[in-house]
Amino acid sequence: MTTTTTTTTTDTAVTPLDVAAALRGNRRRRVARSVVVTCGLAVAVAALFVLTMMVGSFRIGASEVIASVLHLSDNPSVDFVVRGLRLPTAASALAVGLALGASGTIFQQLLRNPLASPDFVGITSGAGLAAVAGIVLLQATGLAISGLALGGAIVAALLMYLLAWRDGVSGYRFILIGIGVAVFFDGLIGYVLTRAQLSEARQATHWLTGSIGQASTSELRLLIGALLVLLPLAILLQRPLRALELGDDTARTLGTPAELSRAALLGTAIALVALAVSVAGPIVFVALVAGPIANRLLGPATGGILPAALVGAALLLVADLVAVHLLPTPLPTGVVTGAVGAPYLLWLLITTNRQGAGG
Amino acid sequence: MTRLRTENLTLGYDERTVVSNLDVEVPDGRITAIVGANACGKSTLLRGMARLLAPRGGAVYLDGKALAELRTLDVAKVLGLLPQTPVAPDGITVADLVARGRYPHQGWFRRWTEHDHEAVARALEATGSAELINRPIRELSGGQRQRVWVAMALAQDTDLLLLDEPTTYLDINHQVELLRLLRRLNAESGKTIVIVLHDLNLAGRFCDHLIAMADGSIVAEGAPTDVVTAELVEKVFGLSCLVVPDPVSGTPMIVPA
Repeated sequence: MTTTTTTTTTDTAVTPLDVAAALRGNRRRRVARSVVVTCGLAVAVAALFVLTMMVGSFRIGASEVIASVLHLSDNPSVDFVVRGLRLPTAASALAVGLALGASGTIFQQLLRNPLASPDFVGITSGAGLAAVAGIVLLQATGLAISGLALGGAIVAALLMYLLAWRDGVSGYRFILIGIGVAVFFDGLIGYVLTRAQLSEARQATHWLTGSIGQASTSELRLLIGALLVLLPLAILLQRPLRALELGDDTARTLGTPAELSRAALLGTAIALVALAVSVAGPIVFVALVAGPIANRLLGPATGGILPAALVGAALLLVADLVAVHLLPTPLPTGVVTGAVGAPYLLWLLITTNRQGAGG
Repeated sequence: MTRLRTENLTLGYDERTVVSNLDVEVPDGRITAIVGANACGKSTLLRGMARLLAPRGGAVYLDGKALAELRTLDVAKVLGLLPQTPVAPDGITVADLVARGRYPHQGWFRRWTEHDHEAVARALEATGSAELINRPIRELSGGQRQRVWVAMALAQDTDLLLLDEPTTYLDINHQVELLRLLRRLNAESGKTIVIVLHDLNLAGRFCDHLIAMADGSIVAEGAPTDVVTAELVEKVFGLSCLVVPDPVSGTPMIVPA
């Protein structure tokens, strides 16, 4: 293809050079936008992270918070409040938000549906069932509940993968089966709760609402460790994801091993959401909205996994600020994300149906 | 010489065998059309040749090596395919979609070079879609959209290009326009093109080589003027007809009796 084309189908003579220049300009603007958005989000997340540690019954200045977190100062009372009380919650919001945001956008792009968030396709319900059964039937506490939730999420994901498998996994079937599995698990959760003692039922219900404050140090360490591996992996997998978005046939034609890439992406996304849920309980809607918000900021069909993860973290930090500090009585984080997320879901259902893009 | 050929190729889905023991040689630098009735296995054969379907038996050879033993990414640099119903991500623009055709030429870290821009620009130019670059795919007409998909396959810059029923859903004007485009590409760059077509008249008019299939096997193969006869059409499509020379090109034209 070294010959220049002589035929143009339009009156205005556009040469390949002009087109290449236009494309180059396009790409430069897109890269610039993506860098600005990603950096802006990172700064916002860092600011919110510090802010959540400043407010409370004992107000601390930003510089003191930063100095204390980085072990640059030695002020026992500030250190106690910041490192002992507030840092674990803030770190938990940050880590859970990153995990949910990344996981949600991978699911949505892979299954080509904005509704395909892990909240709806049974993974969160699987975690919830295992955790509630653990609390009610085995009187499990702390780390054991997290372990059960993690196991439940993974079993639910495998179950769906097996049920949805037919010469590969198609997006639509995965979503429908996921919704079916979610309803089934939710029914079982209801049944288990009716068998519970009052105090256990209370504890289980609290877990099911989702709260970043409930994370223990060991759970948090596990999540952060996993994020350090899974988040870079997810960012690397962005490349095959861009090909898979075009459908399996095109992806293979472009040189992507479709099944292998999808398995790697699903595995990463499932691990991320399972860990997040096991640490904080099912915090709804963050995974659903993070990807679309990131896309709004970046431009259509860009699907950046890192920006979506950052949006997830920002959302959860804000939700935590609202839940704990702005409301008259502190509420679990899941209540706040639910209250904000439900109207979005309605809007999404209405608009996707109107565009006929619901599938 | 033939870079792409099959030997004893058997393909199928689940329990069903669709084509069996096919020996096909795709002539280099030519346009080959695979024609046949619905469900005769022509798309299956194309999918097999593009390694979208693993052989049940036999093999597909690309440059003398079995396709199944080559790396997916290496195949993608030589052999491109436009599927029958490609899917575009929501909201994607023409420039972005066509650019994704460069995927096999980019590594995990080497991302976007001047050469890539030029290849995308050439593909847009060749398909007459350069004016559309900032338009979302969703807003395009059927004819424009199909041209953009062809542009994506062209941006892949492969020596061989397979197209699975690219004229479906297009009106007659756009069908002819698309086939003219393929002819021009073939003439200008010597690209080997294989195309699954329904319309025997268009196949005869625009293609150099015909492969006629019925019930999963090849019934006839060769230049349209040699291959297309009333008996063949009767055999392949079950239609009794007259074959007359096309008044413009002299190629065989079918008129139902």
